[in-house]
Amino acid sequence: MTAAGAIEVQGVRKVFHQTGSGEAVVAIDHLDFVIPRGQMVAIVGQTGCGKSTFLNMLIGLDRPSAGRIAIGGRTPYDHFDHFRGVLAAVFQQDRLLPWRTAIDNVRLPLELLGRDPREQVERARAWLDRLGLGRFERAYPHELSGGMRQRVALARAFVIEPSLLLADEAFGHLDEVTAAALRATFIDLARSGGNTAILVTHQLEEAIEMGGRVLVFGRPGRLLADIAVGQRPAEQAAGLRADIQQMLQHNAPPTKESLA
Amino acid sequence: MTARDAGAARGETVEALEARAPFRFPREMVVGLLLVAVAWQVVSFFVPPFVVPGWERILTTLVTLRLDFVLITLARVAAALAVSFALGLGLAVAMYASAPVERYGRPIVRLFMAVPVVCWILFAVLWFKWVEFRIGFVLVVVCAPVFLVDVLDAMKGVSRDLRDMLRSFRPTGAQFFTKLILPATLPAILTSWKINLSLAIRVVTIAELVGAVTGIGYGLVVAQELFSVAEVFAWTLILVVILFLAEAVLTRVEERLLRWRT
Repeated sequence: MTAAGAIEVQGVRKVFHQTGSGEAVVAIDHLDFVIPRGQMVAIVGQTGCGKSTFLNMLIGLDRPSAGRIAIGGRTPYDHFDHFRGVLAAVFQQDRLLPWRTAIDNVRLPLELLGRDPREQVERARAWLDRLGLGRFERAYPHELSGGMRQRVALARAFVIEPSLLLADEAFGHLDEVTAAALRATFIDLARSGGNTAILVTHQLEEAIEMGGRVLVFGRPGRLLADIAVGQRPAEQAAGLRADIQQMLQHNAPPTKESLA
Repeated sequence: MTARDAGAARGETVEALEARAPFRFPREMVVGLLLVAVAWQVVSFFVPPFVVPGWERILTTLVTLRLDFVLITLARVAAALAVSFALGLGLAVAMYASAPVERYGRPIVRLFMAVPVVCWILFAVLWFKWVEFRIGFVLVVVCAPVFLVDVLDAMKGVSRDLRDMLRSFRPTGAQFFTKLILPATLPAILTSWKINLSLAIRVVTIAELVGAVTGIGYGLVVAQELFSVAEVFAWTLILVVILFLAEAVLTRVEERLLRWRT
């Protein structure tokens, strides 16, 4: 498996043109940052700040209108196939294929990579077991709860052991207990594999809990702050949360030096 | 004791018994059809048999009909539907894969669908000498566009979320089609088969009226020439039963293939 290198985001801008009116909508105004290999990063911002647009460009589903996004020196849109088996994403909705059982959904990426069928089953089963779904491998998605489906989606992402993991509001629609458990699982799995992990969220607690680096996006798509969170005591974490909240409310960079 | 009662006595659930049954005819459907049959019989008591023959006359005629005609008609329908499906699916894939092909192809398909069946039959008689080819041509030209439009619309309706999810794993073009597009389109394909089956059975009899010397359509022409009303009704009854059975088979296939929906 090819390891994903550092992510370089240089002067990225994304403009959409509305169907019908043709009116230009700026989704991302200007982004500039680098994510070194193996780092855990949370991207926070209000709805409409271009978080998901950025992630789509990082996955290679869309290309920037200006600027450049590169992973290990290669742009994911132009070198689409190079990233086969390198990156995996978990989305807000589980996006499971309804006609496949849980195990067959987890096997899917391995099938696409042309792995041996026996290996596909063994690895898919191992991941389902690891996520506590061993008893449900033959269940169809409609027979599973929202949290279980999202765990299957997590297993599907992890089964190829990607070196770049992306999660787009993957736990936001679940109840807090399930979301916290899955978030912890995601962080553990990402850390244990030494992967680069990017978690897009609008929940500040989720971003801070990751204990890595937080990129705060303003509207339209620009970087308000780049914060190294680390492991902070509870009162400091609460202060940080309040500071980020203020930034988002005013849609402006921080004024305090502590955030710099 | 019926098989169902026996199964129930063994403790099997109604769902399990129904799932095992080769065909399923809902009680409401059976009752409705019986009511029509009874009404028919009652009417036959009050009008002459050459207008509405009674069931005993129709059933007596039924056993005298050439059943090889039924097989011939069924073979024509099956062959034409297979060709229509292959053609419709192939063109739908081409149109899905290429926007220019779709832009040029859609109006042509619309044109084909706008031509009445009777005109296609006349064209077939004028253009082709071989009877089997005439019948096949009419069936394919009527059914293939229906397959094409149904399948293409279903392909285009596959959710963007699922397409993006699969693309994030970098499938090849063939994998994208076989792992996502085709299975996602399957419900529409099966519905299209149901629609085309009923369409083909109706169209084949009209096509067989012109020039054929075998098949149910030909049998109907002969019955009409002999002014045998009972025979006309007997052939009609056979057509209706074929259609009901074929739809029942397709429904079973649908339930098996789409069991993930239940």
